Amino acid sequence: MGGYHAARWRELPVTIGGFFDTDTARAERLASQHGGRAFGSVAELVESCEIVDICTPPSDHASVAVAAAQAGRHVVCEKPIARSLADAERMVSVCEAAGVTLFVAHVVRFFPEFARAKQVYDSGALGRLGVVRTIRGGARPAMSPWFADVAQSGGVILDVGIHDIDYLRWLCGDVERVFARGLTWEKLAADHALITLRFASGAIGHIESSWAFPQGIFRTFVELAGTEGILVHDSDDVRPLDVRYNRGMEPASPPPSSAPNVSGDDPYLLELRHFLDVLDGRAELLVTPRDAVEALRVALAALASMRDGRPVAVAGFAEEL
Amino acid sequence: MIRIGILSAAHGHAHSYAECLKVIPGVELVGIADDSPARAQNFTREHGIPAFPSYEALLAEGLDGAVICSANAHHRPLTELAAPRTKNILCEKPIATTVEDAQAMLDACARHGARLQIAFPVRFAPPVVDLRDLLRSGALGRIYSLKTTNHGQMPGGWFTDRALAGGGAVIDHTVHVIDLLRWFFDTEVAEVYAEVGVGLLHDGLGIDDAGLLSFRLTNGAYGTLDTSWSRPAAFPTWGDVTIEVVGERGWARLDAFKQQLAVYSNRAQRAQWVGWGANMDMGLMRDFVGMIDERRDPSISGLDGLRALEVALAAYQSAAEGRPIIVR
Repeated sequence: MGGYHAARWRELPVTIGGFFDTDTARAERLASQHGGRAFGSVAELVESCEIVDICTPPSDHASVAVAAAQAGRHVVCEKPIARSLADAERMVSVCEAAGVTLFVAHVVRFFPEFARAKQVYDSGALGRLGVVRTIRGGARPAMSPWFADVAQSGGVILDVGIHDIDYLRWLCGDVERVFARGLTWEKLAADHALITLRFASGAIGHIESSWAFPQGIFRTFVELAGTEGILVHDSDDVRPLDVRYNRGMEPASPPPSSAPNVSGDDPYLLELRHFLDVLDGRAELLVTPRDAVEALRVALAALASMRDGRPVAVAGFAEEL
Repeated sequence: MIRIGILSAAHGHAHSYAECLKVIPGVELVGIADDSPARAQNFTREHGIPAFPSYEALLAEGLDGAVICSANAHHRPLTELAAPRTKNILCEKPIATTVEDAQAMLDACARHGARLQIAFPVRFAPPVVDLRDLLRSGALGRIYSLKTTNHGQMPGGWFTDRALAGGGAVIDHTVHVIDLLRWFFDTEVAEVYAEVGVGLLHDGLGIDDAGLLSFRLTNGAYGTLDTSWSRPAAFPTWGDVTIEVVGERGWARLDAFKQQLAVYSNRAQRAQWVGWGANMDMGLMRDFVGMIDERRDPSISGLDGLRALEVALAAYQSAAEGRPIIVR
């Protein structure tokens, strides 16, 4: 994600100070590509920059965030906020005490289809939400080996499911209890989860999170059913341009994949611009640190439920696993 | 600051354009003038910009640009009024209701050194840009056929008044897709045959609400365009722009506004498709502001508007005479 964020920072009124990575070569590569320099340590990076953007594995979020906050640096942090609730709570309290802004990049809230669905709900067209269903998944990401390590990533629920947990909390509020089935504890090549949620509002939620779909499939799906109406989004059904070739006539380079957005609507750009707007006092944080902690709490409760085969109450849930 | 005024909001696109201009940095939306004072007041209430008592009064503000969203027949007088008073004009499509009017607009702008851009926003829909890139890459080889649609709901109001609109569905909806095809291939429509239906879908409408054009392009491709106001009031969205391409090496299908949420609400009493794709009007407005800022030629010229209009008028002629019409 570091390179992903860096490409967006370049479009914003900031200067990239540089990169730190435990893999020095990667930091150097990113610096030569995007500007700034490769730092020798987190401390050196924190010393030289006003904003620290954390794209490490979740298990390392807290140490970097705390170092940044204690030096008075504002923090952008990839989701999930941390690998453990203790880390997450520490990040929130240290940032609060230091008076710095902590923005956890729950980017789904900035995707145009998900943002528009929230608008439709807010307009009252759906009434009171009763049953909300989402799907998000693809094949296991090949990019970094740490994804496969549950101790570092938390598996598919903490990496993928957390998006939908946050999104559904945005729509339905606090989650009362969670029940989940899935593969995470079997430590297979694939990971997959079916999560059932009950919200304090009474609404019922269902989330499918997958790293078990065939290569080439990445699907998102949302169905919001309320007392006045229902809203449906299926990424399989919204591709504006479909191209097929006669046998043997496929071009060497793939056809353009229809980009849904003009550059100004890129959700990763929008979330970072939002963060700058918050720093300038032009906007309120769309995702509060508390939202990020609570999404993590629900995700960990789902992992506990998957392990134990029983429903888990979310309020007061504090087990680390 | 780039200062822009809106001349008439008779065409509903004025509302969307105003909202776009309000958020583009460096733009001041100076005001609106309209021959209907009620419409101007309404616009002021909705968008919070001043209403001027006359077009002349608004143009006297020293505008960098004027956006004309009047009824089609008023495009010419408003352009002739604006051309000596501002350097940049964006005119809603179709450019005019007759070739003579369109040519007069081009002449007036040339005489006064004003840039005239025609509002074909569909050029700024990212999936349409993708299709253009695909076609121009040559990946589909020789293009045989282009089966296209620009369907809509019957808009009512002045759109069905021949004196103000110049026609019905055919003039309203021919120009968008024809402009895209000219832009995709740098080509012209060579010949058009059309079947046109008057009140075919709306009893007693008194103007064409259905049209099917069959055309040949100067680049050799052939195709059809369905311009009909065939989407009923109960339809879940306003209409569509679709293009299906059959080529030597493959096939492509564009449904430009497919990025929609399906919403079924008891409050609306009908299904609705709520779009979430990129705002093409924003793309058009940014382009217009960029043209003013950089003092460059319009990306969509008055001549582009005239060429698209000629095809719509040829379609009417074809239907009247029952034979294909050579356009150029």
